[in-house]
Amino acid sequence: MLRTSPLARVINPGRFGAGKGVPGVTLSVVHPITMSMVIARKDQAKKMERVLARLRKGDVHWAGPDQYYVINAPYTDLKQKLEGLASVSDQSHGRVMFRIAGAKARAVLAKGTPVDVHEDVFPIGKSALTQMAHVSVHLTRTGENDFTLSLFRGFSESFWEWLTSQSAEFGYQVS
Amino acid sequence: MLIPCPHCGTRPVEEFTFLGDATPTRPATPDDPKWYSYVYERDNPRGRFDEFVHHSGGCRAWLVVSRDTKTHAVFSALTAADFKRKQKP
Amino acid sequence: MTGFRIEKGGLINRDTKLNFTFDGKAFTGHNGDTLASALIANGVHLMGRSFKYHRPRGVISAGSSEPNALVELRENGRKEANTRATMVELYDGLMAKSQNRWPSLQHDILAINSLASSIFVAGFYYKTFMWPKSFWEKIYEPLIRKAAGLGTASREADPDTYEKSYAHCDVLVIGSGPAGLMAALTAGRAGVRVILADEGSALGGSLLFENEEIAGQSGYDWAQGILAELASLPNVTLMPRSTIFGWFDGNIFGALERVNDHVAVPAPFEPRQRYWRIHANRAVLAAGAEERPLVFGGNDVPGVMLASAMRHYANRFAAAAGKSIVVFTNNSSAARTVTDMQKHGVNVSAVIDTRKGERILAVKGGKQVVAVNGTPCDAVAMSGGWSPIVNLMCHRGAKPIWNEGIAGFTPPDVGPEFTAIGSAAGHMLLSECLAGGVRAGTVKGRTEAAPQCRDEAFAIQPFWWVKESVGKAFIDYQNDATAKDLPLATREGYGHVELAKRYTTTGMATDQGKLGNVNAIAILAEASGKTIAEMGTTTFRPFYTPVSFGAFTGPFTGHHFQPVRKTPLHDWCVEQGAVFVESGLWMRSAWFPQAGEDWLAAATREVKATRSGVGLCDVSTLGKIDIQGKDAGLFLDHLYCNTFSTLSIGKARYGIMLREDGIAFDDGTTSRLAEDHFVMTTTTANAARVMSHIEFCHQVHWPELDVQYVSVTEQWAQMAIAGPKARATLQKLVDNLQLSDETMPYLAARDVTILGDVTARLFRISFSGEHAYELAVPADYGNAVARSIMQAGAEFNIAPYGVEALSIMRIEKGHVAGGELNGTTTAGDLGLGKMMSTKKDYIGRAMSMRAGLADPARQCVVGIKPVDRSMKIRSGGHLLKQGDAPSLQADQGYICSVAWSPMLDMWLGLALLSNGRARIGEIVKVFDGLRGHHYLAEICDPVHFDPKNERLHA
Repeated sequence: MLRTSPLARVINPGRFGAGKGVPGVTLSVVHPITMSMVIARKDQAKKMERVLARLRKGDVHWAGPDQYYVINAPYTDLKQKLEGLASVSDQSHGRVMFRIAGAKARAVLAKGTPVDVHEDVFPIGKSALTQMAHVSVHLTRTGENDFTLSLFRGFSESFWEWLTSQSAEFGYQVS
Repeated sequence: MLIPCPHCGTRPVEEFTFLGDATPTRPATPDDPKWYSYVYERDNPRGRFDEFVHHSGGCRAWLVVSRDTKTHAVFSALTAADFKRKQKP
Repeated sequence: MTGFRIEKGGLINRDTKLNFTFDGKAFTGHNGDTLASALIANGVHLMGRSFKYHRPRGVISAGSSEPNALVELRENGRKEANTRATMVELYDGLMAKSQNRWPSLQHDILAINSLASSIFVAGFYYKTFMWPKSFWEKIYEPLIRKAAGLGTASREADPDTYEKSYAHCDVLVIGSGPAGLMAALTAGRAGVRVILADEGSALGGSLLFENEEIAGQSGYDWAQGILAELASLPNVTLMPRSTIFGWFDGNIFGALERVNDHVAVPAPFEPRQRYWRIHANRAVLAAGAEERPLVFGGNDVPGVMLASAMRHYANRFAAAAGKSIVVFTNNSSAARTVTDMQKHGVNVSAVIDTRKGERILAVKGGKQVVAVNGTPCDAVAMSGGWSPIVNLMCHRGAKPIWNEGIAGFTPPDVGPEFTAIGSAAGHMLLSECLAGGVRAGTVKGRTEAAPQCRDEAFAIQPFWWVKESVGKAFIDYQNDATAKDLPLATREGYGHVELAKRYTTTGMATDQGKLGNVNAIAILAEASGKTIAEMGTTTFRPFYTPVSFGAFTGPFTGHHFQPVRKTPLHDWCVEQGAVFVESGLWMRSAWFPQAGEDWLAAATREVKATRSGVGLCDVSTLGKIDIQGKDAGLFLDHLYCNTFSTLSIGKARYGIMLREDGIAFDDGTTSRLAEDHFVMTTTTANAARVMSHIEFCHQVHWPELDVQYVSVTEQWAQMAIAGPKARATLQKLVDNLQLSDETMPYLAARDVTILGDVTARLFRISFSGEHAYELAVPADYGNAVARSIMQAGAEFNIAPYGVEALSIMRIEKGHVAGGELNGTTTAGDLGLGKMMSTKKDYIGRAMSMRAGLADPARQCVVGIKPVDRSMKIRSGGHLLKQGDAPSLQADQGYICSVAWSPMLDMWLGLALLSNGRARIGEIVKVFDGLRGHHYLAEICDPVHFDPKNERLHA
C-alpha cells in the first residue's frame, strides 16, 4: 500500500513570502521516512553504539541518553542486528520530518528553539531534543546551513503553518 | 532560569517540569510507618533545595536540580540515578 | 531660523517632507525627526494633559523617560495609547492624538481640578471615597476612571503580527554611546559573538547630539566610523530600536525590537515588533545616565524641559525649543546647553545656578512659558544632575548605591556576568567612558587602546527643591505628585520609600519614576531626617519601558494559540462529515451528522448501527507506549495494581494504575507482543502524564530494571470495529487469518496482514460491550484502511461513530472513564478492587491500604436512572436520602456521567454513592442546585445494558 503523508494536502511547492530573489530558506517534508527509535538495553550501550557505528545503511542521530534515531535503516534489519543490545521501535509513521535549509535557516529556528544553533557550537551531525512553537522536536544539523526537524505526526500540519509563517519575512521555497 | 541538563546542555526552565523535594526515599515495604511522610510531608526550605525536575521538553530524563530558592542560583543538575548514588553513603 | 527649525545641521533629511497630524491639525517634518522634535520645530509645546489636574504639559525629555508627551498613535486596530512622542519616529501620514483631555487639549474642562488642588493632595482618593462603601464600585470608581485616564485601547483586532525569537551571544552590550561602542568594538575585534542593542532609532547614544571630540574627530563622526566597522564584522549583531527591558535568572535579557513601529503599516511578511530572549554569557550595561529635573514652582509649564533634551532637539533634530531661553542648573553640565543654543542663534536670557545661590522663584505662563523671575523667555532648560540608568542591574533584587560625588545612585556589584560602564556606572568623564568600554570589551587579553578625547569636568552641588518658589513643584509629572506630597506622606506615617510611593503615586506612572524618583527620595529623606543612602530606593522591576501585549503573545494568537493535533484518520473523518471536539490538543471526531441530525440524533443512530450491525471509531488518540526489555513484565507489575508479568504472549489485559497515594490514576489495556515486548494503552487525557510517570518510576524507583519505553501513539492509526458484524467486516481485510473465537478469542492480541501488504496489530478488546476489535495500522495507511473497512462493512450498513456514541455505549455498559476516574476514586470505588494484587509491590499499594481508602462507606460507582423514565438527567446532581434537605452533612454522592441510552430508550448514568453497592434498588433524591430542581432516581447496577456480556462473546 502506498504511504500517504499527513501533509499531502497541505504542501504546495513554490516560492512564497517576501521578495522575489533567492529565498532565505527552503522548506520541505521528507516523506516517506524510515526511522526507528533505538534504546540501549541495560548495560549494553557501548556494544549497541559499536553496532550502530558499523551500520552500512542508516544515519544515526543522538536522541537522548543511550537513545538514537536511526534513519533509512529498515526496522526489521535493525531489530535483528541489535538483538539483546537494544530495544527498537518503529517510528517511520509516527514522526514527520522537515528539512530547513538556506542562509536564514538559523534565523527561522531561533524563532522557536532556545538551543543555540550557531555553527561554532552546533556542528554538523549534532542533534538536540527541544521544543519549538510548543511542540517537542528533534533537531539535527545535516549540513552547512541544513537542518532536519522531526516531531509527532499529529502536530505536523499545525507546525508547518507556524514554520512557513515564520519563514515568510525571508522568502521561502517549498520543494 | 537556566538548568544545566547533563544530557542536553544548558536549557531554559520552560523545557522542564518540577515535581518537588528529591530527598525523601520510597519506603521498601507496604507497612513502613514512613509512607505517610513520604507521600504527603514536604518542607519548603529557604535556601538550598534538591528537587526532582523532568526535562519534559528535551531528553525526558528525570534530574535532581540543586538550587537556591531565595537567589535562584542553580548549583548542579544530576540524573536521578547519579543523585541516588551520591545520596547513599 | 524659520519658525523653530534651525536652518543648518542636525541629523534630519531636509530633502524629505513628511506630512503628519496632531489632534487633526496638519504639520510637516523631516526624515530623522521624532514626533516630539517635529512638533517643537513647528512651535508646538503643548502635547498633553496631566493625569490628575489636567494641567497643560509639554515635552520634558527627548527619550524613553518622557512622562508628559504621551499620545495616541494611529487609528482603528493599529491604535496605540500612551506612546511617547519622544520615541515615535516620524513617518508620512502619521496620525497622533493627545490624551486625557476633554473636549480638547487647548480647553480641558477638568483643568478645574487644578484650582481645587488643595483637596487633591496625596492620599486624597483613599481618604475621600471611603463612605459609603457600596458607592465605591458603582459610583466613585467609574467617575474617577472617567476623569483620570491615559488614552484608550482600540476595540478592534490588531491586524499586525508579532514575533518571538531567541538570541545567544558572548557579550551583550546595552547602549551604544561612547562606552557601549568601545565595548562592542573591543569585543567584536576579539572575535567573540557580540550583540549591541540600543532603544534609539539610531545607534550612537549621546554622540548623536552632544558635541564631543574623539580621536581628533567629532564624536558623531567617530561613532559612525565605529558603527561601520561593527556592521562589517560577522560576529557582531547591531540591534537599534531594541530596548533591553529586563534582566532575568541565568543572565537572560528580554528585549523588545520595534521592527516596524516607524512606518504606518509593516512591510509585507514583517512583524510590527519582535520579542527577544537574549542568552548572554556576559553583559555590559552602557545605558548612560538620565538627567533629572529641578523641583520648583511651575516646573511643568510647557517650554520647561531638561537641559540635555533642549540641546538634543537643537543639535540632532535642528529644532529649537525657544527663541529666548533661561537655563536653571545645579551642576556643570548645563553649560553645554548655553553654548550649543547660543551657537544655534537662540538667546540665553539668563543662567540661574543654584551653586551661586540663585533660584527660579516664579514661572509665568499657562500653555507656554512667558517669563521666569520676571525675565521674558519662551523656554527653560533645567538640570538637576544625572542619575545613572541602573535599572537593569537591580532587576534581580540588588539595590543601587548612593554616590555623593555625582549625587546619584550607581549600580550594585552583581558579579562578572553583568558589569556597568560609562555614565551608567557613574563615570562622568568621556575618557572614563571609553576606557570602561575597552575594559568591558576585553576578551582573554585581546584588547584595544582607548582613543584620545576631550574631557569636560563634572561638578554638582545637590539641590533638591526651591521651597520658596510660587506654584506647584512637580516630582512625578505624569501622576501629578508634587514635592509637598512627600513631607505630607512622612507626617501621615507613610515615610518609608515604598509606602510613600504608593501613598503619593510618585514613580507609578508609565515612566516608573525615571525622572522623579531620586528627587522624591531626597525630599523624603530630608522630611524624615535621614540621608539619601539611608532612605534608599524603591524596588526596580522589569519592564524598563512598557511592552505591548502583542509582543508577549507573539504569533500564538487565535487559531495558533496552541498547536492543533490531528489523528492519522483525520481526513477520513472529514470525508465522513465529522464534527470535531477538542480533547486536550487533539481534534477528535465527536459525531457524524447526516442531513437534519443534531448531535443526539447522530449519536443515537451511530449507537444503533453499531449495536445492530457494525461501527467504526477512530481511537488513535489513546496513548500507546512501547515497553521492551528483559524486565518489562516486572516493571509493569510495579506500575499497575494488577499483574502483567504472567500475561501470555498474544494476550491483552485491562489494567489500573494508582497514584502513590492510593487513588486511581489511569486505566487501559496492555498487550504482550513478545516475552520482552509489551504495548500499553492509556487514556487520551493521561497519555503524556503516564509517560512521565513511567520515566519517573524507572529512573528514580527501579533503575536496576532492564526496561525501555517510547511513545508510539502517533505511529499507529487505531480503529475500533464493533458490533455483531465486526468479525465479518474485518475478515474481508485480513489476509492470513481465519477470524474465529479460537484464532482470535476475547483479549487476543496479534499481528495480522491486511489488504495484501500492511502489517497491522489486531486486538480483540471492547469498550462498547459489543463483539469488537481494535485494529492498529501504521499511520500513513490509516485513511486508506478506514475507507476499506467502510467498503467492507457497507453490506452491514456500517456507520462511523464518534466520541459521543462511544461515551453512550460505555455508560450503557458501566465502563468507567474520566467522570469516574476523577482523581478522588480508588480502584475499589470503581468496582475494581479485586484487581489489586497482594503479592507484589506497586505504586499506590501501601497508601491504598489506609483505613479511609478501604472504608465501605466510601462513595463507589453505581448506576442511576430517573424514577420518571421520561426525564432527562444531568451530571453534577447530588444524591440525598429521600426526605433529607440538601446539606453537606446529608450529601450521599453525585452523578458523574449521563447519557441518553438508545438501547433502553431513557436517560441513565453512573454515580458515586456512599456505600453504593449495598444500595442497589434504593430510591434517592437528586438535588441539582445548579439547574434549580430535584427529582427521584433509582440506584442500579452500573451495567445497564447486556449485564451478562452476551454480546461481547457473541
